[in-house]
Amino acid sequence: MERKNFLKSLLVGSVSSSILLQACKKDADVTTTSTSTSGTTTGTTTGTSGSGTCSVIQTETDGPYPTKAPASYVRSDITDGRSGYKMTVSIAITNYNDNCNAVANALVDIWHCDAEGNYSEYGGSGSQSTNYQSVHFLRGRQTTNSAGVVTFTSIFPGWYTGRATHIHVHIYNASGTSLKVTQIAFPEGSGTALAAVGGYSKGFSGYTYNASDNVFSDGTSLEMASVTGNTTDGFALSIVMAVPA
Amino acid sequence: MGKSTIKLCYRKIIDSSATKPWDKFVLEDSYAEFRLQVQNFAQVKQYPSFAELVHEVPEAKKINQMVGPAITGYIQQLNEVVPDILNNLGRRFIKFKTYHFEIINSHFDQREKHQVAVSFFSEPMIWYGTIDNYLLLAPFGQETGEVLTHMMQLQPYLSIYSITEMA
Repeated sequence: MERKNFLKSLLVGSVSSSILLQACKKDADVTTTSTSTSGTTTGTTTGTSGSGTCSVIQTETDGPYPTKAPASYVRSDITDGRSGYKMTVSIAITNYNDNCNAVANALVDIWHCDAEGNYSEYGGSGSQSTNYQSVHFLRGRQTTNSAGVVTFTSIFPGWYTGRATHIHVHIYNASGTSLKVTQIAFPEGSGTALAAVGGYSKGFSGYTYNASDNVFSDGTSLEMASVTGNTTDGFALSIVMAVPA
Repeated sequence: MGKSTIKLCYRKIIDSSATKPWDKFVLEDSYAEFRLQVQNFAQVKQYPSFAELVHEVPEAKKINQMVGPAITGYIQQLNEVVPDILNNLGRRFIKFKTYHFEIINSHFDQREKHQVAVSFFSEPMIWYGTIDNYLLLAPFGQETGEVLTHMMQLQPYLSIYSITEMA
């Protein structure tokens, strides 16, 4: 097609664009023509414009019928096929303002890097388009039970330059107000899970230990998890976190 | 004229005037997720408006990506067919596999300011020509014999995203 003709066809489109715009405000499911018949509106769906324009109304089965879908963060197994030593994560939330009693119905988000030390993007970065099947591995959300506990299934995190091994945690109350953004630290030294995993393929050359980590260097007594298990059966991490709820 | 392969982009804007269930779910759930994720930036207390927050803390731009997973389930419910855009027989017909979610405006305390866009990028189609303000399009994969086509009106927020001239 010649560019001139194409431009002309665009112009034709722009003449009726104000009408189109009006119609699209209400419902983009309709296509309008600029022939004005006197306001007879057809059909029972929402595509009535009522301003003297008539519309080609959707003429197939209505739908798809959407159903309420939780954020795809909401899941207990956050592995998404990442390879590594299996690790369960159990986090108990207690209330600093209420005798350290369990906090039920709190939202707990966790995220951490994979065995190589990489984070998932959230499904496409920047202005790139996202595949509808995209995943955001090693990120998840659970709601605490009556004992204040959430559990996740994941893998033992790797590490990256400048940081000790850690898991990010963001805790919200039931209505979504942020209570605490924090990180979980891992015990170090011989006999620990960290030593057993051995930093995965990177080893520990250039590793940042807790003492020199800029987040953990002020002390890890409250952020230190207990990690049991081995590389054959997997690991189990647990920690109790007190937050002002 | 020569045929071209094109991909269309439909940028669907959703704001508080939304009436359709899908639109409302996307708006509600992306707002709920926005309110959660924005609290990763302590400055939100000072700058509750998303635009202001991004202006003051450029890194807060990544909230767009952090909120995206809140609507993944709704994208999947579309079964790879672009919503709203109909052929002239009144049927949805544009297939997509990729999309892009963005927050246009939002506010931590004012739900009605929340406005988002989902851009759908179509699978390639063959553009045979233009009749009045209708594009004559055909899906790929029927290059011989009778080709079944769609006529689609040009309309706001719908654009040709890319074009490849065919020999």
